[in-house]
Parts: sequence; C-alpha cells; structure tokens
Amino acid sequence: MLRRNFLCAFPLFAGFSACSKPSNKIRLALNWKPDPQFGGFYAAPYQQYPLDVEILPGGAGTPTIQMVGAGSAEFGIVSADELVIARSRGNDVVALFAVFQDNPQGIMAHASRKLQGIEDVMKGGTLAIQKGLPYARLLEKKYGFAKVNVVPSPGGDITAFLADPNFAQQCFVMSEPLTARRKGADVVVFPVSEIGYNPYTTVLATSGDYFRKNVRVAAVMTMAARAGWRAYLDDPKPTNQHMNQLNPSMAADSFTEVAEAQKPLIDKPPAALGSMTKERWATLIQQLKDLGDIQTAPAPEDCFRNVEMRLEAMPVK
Amino acid sequence: MIKRIFPALLPLFAVVLIAETAVRAGWVRSYLVPAPSAVAQALFESRQELVGAVLTTSASALLGFVLSTIIGIAIAVFLSSSRAIQRAFYPYAVFFQTVPIIAIAPLLVIWFGYGIRTVVASAFVVSIFPVIANTLNGILSTDPALRDLFRLYGASTWTTLFKLRFPAALPQILTGLRVASGLAVIGAIVGEFIGGQGLGSVVDVARTQQRVDKVFAAVLLASLLGLALFGLINLISYVTLRRWHESEQ
Repeated sequence: MLRRNFLCAFPLFAGFSACSKPSNKIRLALNWKPDPQFGGFYAAPYQQYPLDVEILPGGAGTPTIQMVGAGSAEFGIVSADELVIARSRGNDVVALFAVFQDNPQGIMAHASRKLQGIEDVMKGGTLAIQKGLPYARLLEKKYGFAKVNVVPSPGGDITAFLADPNFAQQCFVMSEPLTARRKGADVVVFPVSEIGYNPYTTVLATSGDYFRKNVRVAAVMTMAARAGWRAYLDDPKPTNQHMNQLNPSMAADSFTEVAEAQKPLIDKPPAALGSMTKERWATLIQQLKDLGDIQTAPAPEDCFRNVEMRLEAMPVK
Repeated sequence: MIKRIFPALLPLFAVVLIAETAVRAGWVRSYLVPAPSAVAQALFESRQELVGAVLTTSASALLGFVLSTIIGIAIAVFLSSSRAIQRAFYPYAVFFQTVPIIAIAPLLVIWFGYGIRTVVASAFVVSIFPVIANTLNGILSTDPALRDLFRLYGASTWTTLFKLRFPAALPQILTGLRVASGLAVIGAIVGEFIGGQGLGSVVDVARTQQRVDKVFAAVLLASLLGLALFGLINLISYVTLRRWHESEQ
C-alpha cells in the first residue's frame, strides 16, 4: 500500500521535475546529532528528485523552529507541539512529514523500584525532565511534583541515572533505555503517550512563506523523505554506517538497535509513512490550550500539509 | 549627577526605540527578537518568579565569587613565595582558566549533586583564575626600592607581605575581582542550566516554551546582577584606594 502510494506519485514527479529549474541548495536543519531518528533523511535519494540538500546536524537546544521561520534553513526537524506553540506566537511554520506516528518520549526508571506507571514515578525519588516541555507540565498538572525532586534533564547522558537507583529521567524510549541496559541497569520505561499525550515527533517542517513560494520543492522534498524512510526501514545498515561516521560518539551497535526499536513507532500501516491527520493536530492543540501553553489556538488544518497526496490536483506549469 | 548618567542612557534609549519600532513595523519578527515593551510586560507578569530567581542566582554567584576571592588570593600568596613553587603550580592555575565550563558542568552535577552546590562550584571554577593571575602579578611587581627598604629594616616575610606587598598589589587584586565578578554570574547561570534553579532555569524553561520575551527578561536581570557586583567592587575600590592610588583620585 505504502509502496503503491509512493509509486503512484512517481510519474507525476517525473512530469514536473522535467520542467523545474535546476534547484538551489536546500538546507535541512536537524535538532540533534546524526542518529537513527533522522535515518530516513540521510537515506533519502535526493539527487534522483533532483534536490541538492545539505543536512545541518544540530545539538542540545538547536532552535530549528526559529531557524525555519527566519529562513536560515528551508526545512527543519521540529516536534508537533513546538510547531503549534510557534504558530500561536506568529511563527508561520507548517509540517510536511511526521516521522514518529507515536510519541517516542518516555520516562525511564530503575526496575528495582517496582513502579507500575508514570503516576508511581511522581511519588518519590528524583525526576530529570525539561520543565518547559508541555508533557512535563501535563505531568505536573495531573500528578503534582510535590513528592518528587524535579531536576533539569541531562540530555542523553545517563551517568546520574546509573549512579542513583531512585533516579528517573525523560528519554526517547528507543534510545537511553538501551544504553542503560547495555551498562547493566535493569530499566523500566513508561511512554508519555500512556498519559494521553501523543504529538507527532521528528516532523519535517518548512515556513508558510517558503511553502507558498516553493510548493513543488516542498512536495518533492516530502516525497524524497518518504522514499528515504522506506529505504531506511527496509535496510538501515548502509545509512547507519554513514551516520556513524558523522557521529562517532554513538556506538555502531546502538545505531542498529535504535533503528530496530523505533520501527513500530514510525511504520503504522495502513497509514502512509509520515502522513498526518487533522484529528491528531486538533487533539494536540486542545491539550496545549488546556495547559496554557498557547493563548490563541491555531486552526488544525493550517498546521500541516499532506502535500504529496495533493500533488495530483496541482496544475503543472 | 544627571550629566554623568545621561551619556550612558542615550544609547539605551536609542536601542530601545529602534528595537520597538523594528518589531512593531514588522521588520524583525517578534519570535526572534522581542519588542522591549514585550520584555517589560514579561518582567511585570513574571515578577514573582523572576525576583525569586534573581535572589537564588545572586546567592550562588556571590558565594562562588567570595570563595574565588578568598581561595584565589590565598593561592596567589602561596605561589608568590618562591619561583620554584610558581613553576610547579602556576600551570595548574592556568588550567582552571582553560576549562570549558559548559563541558564539565554535567560532571559537577555528578560530584556535587543537583542544586546550589553545583551552581556555586561552577561560579567558582570560572571566576578564580583572574583573581589568582592579577593578585600574583600585583604581589610580584612591588617596587624593588621599597622591598629593599623593608629588608634593610629587617622586616619578616609576613610583615613584608602584609604591610608592603599586599597593599601594593591591591589595585591589581581589585582589577582581578572586577573581571571575576562578571564571570561568577556567567558561571552561576551555566551551573543553573545543569543543576537547576535560578535565572538559568528560567532561561532554559522559557527557551523551551519559545518565550523569547521571558528569555530576554531573565538575561536582562542576569546582566543587571553582574553590573551590581561590578559596582560593589568599584565601591570597595574607591573606599580602599582613594587616599593613595591615582586610579581612584
């Protein structure tokens, strides 16, 4: 089904690629270092489309949403919740392709504490979490932080976690827990989606302005991303090797393990890879409004474009 | 008084006016640079949280600064006692200056735990070197004629240190403290990013929430805190030097 969708779009692409001018360099800003969560973007066969894409690796706190809004990168990787907040603050950014259909964020804790769910994590010990994240405040609203010692998130570092059996921390469910297990810790992971917070994550986005002026480039970029993700899901090995060269601080084994572990969160048939629904965006917007993160709620349909699906309806100039 | 302050206020008014106009006219997007009026509003709306954060950061920065002052001067006095000691230990003092605090801050959390101890340690590590370097330089550049005079009268090492070398080094020590005061605030904020609390935590949270107005409000307060510490050192400098040193006359 997925393949068919992709193939259906292909002749169409061939039709307009022939009349499009040779493309300029397009920048894709990542919000972290090269790792499997971006695998499909590294695997994408851009030259076939033909796109000249430069991938800009990021780090802790890389403001990709502002970069995309300001035009310092044509495309960027953001999360759905930050996109909604950005739109409510006047930063016109639109989502094109959502890699993670299920939120990969979670809380990991030591199994020795015998916790049954996220609620139990809030009953004691230390929790390292970015307090500015919407789901952190959702947790606070739901369970309160009175009994748990909330400290800043150490990013992907798990040293403090390994040293303290009462330490819990935010994580990507397919990343830090694997590292911790490899270092001998007995880990239990609670996905944040467990409390009903499930925004699209690792979302390819562009600015509304760029989209309007370059709708075909945006469409082709989305197609390239979809092709890349399909290829990466089928065989992550060559791309992992390439990303490992760019990011040698992550072990080669970890690339393989993470790529495997993230598959069920990305590939959710019958939905096409990366596709988004208005209902999911509406739910998220309502949640952010309830949390007080946004004063004015953007329209769900303005937040995203399933642009590749609509290509057929577009006149080819 | 007004004549002295006015020239300093003029660029401030100009920058505020230009920024406000640029944002209101839409030349600069408000999610990249906030209008000064938005920053003022954020300061007002979050005043309770910000006052608490300023107090926390002040306490940590001041504590780190006081520790750097005491330990830095002590180390400099120790280093000045002989050339051999200087050669043996001074490179390690230089090492402190070159430590990239942002890289070792996560380790400080492991060593000192979350909270004020990590923040104070961070403020201390970044602010101690200018104290050591300036104090040492001051002590070593005492007028040789005066040193000879002390020797001629048979003054002990301690007497020479406290009655001659230390007072003579005071202008340079205070220069070191001026540099260290600003660094202590920076060190405290970096420590707070990792260890939690204070203005660093406010900046971190506001940044995640894309509240650039609040980020600017917190940064403004951090700068004012650095300025206040700097002013305090200037006051000490004026009180201690005005009667004998030309820099304060």
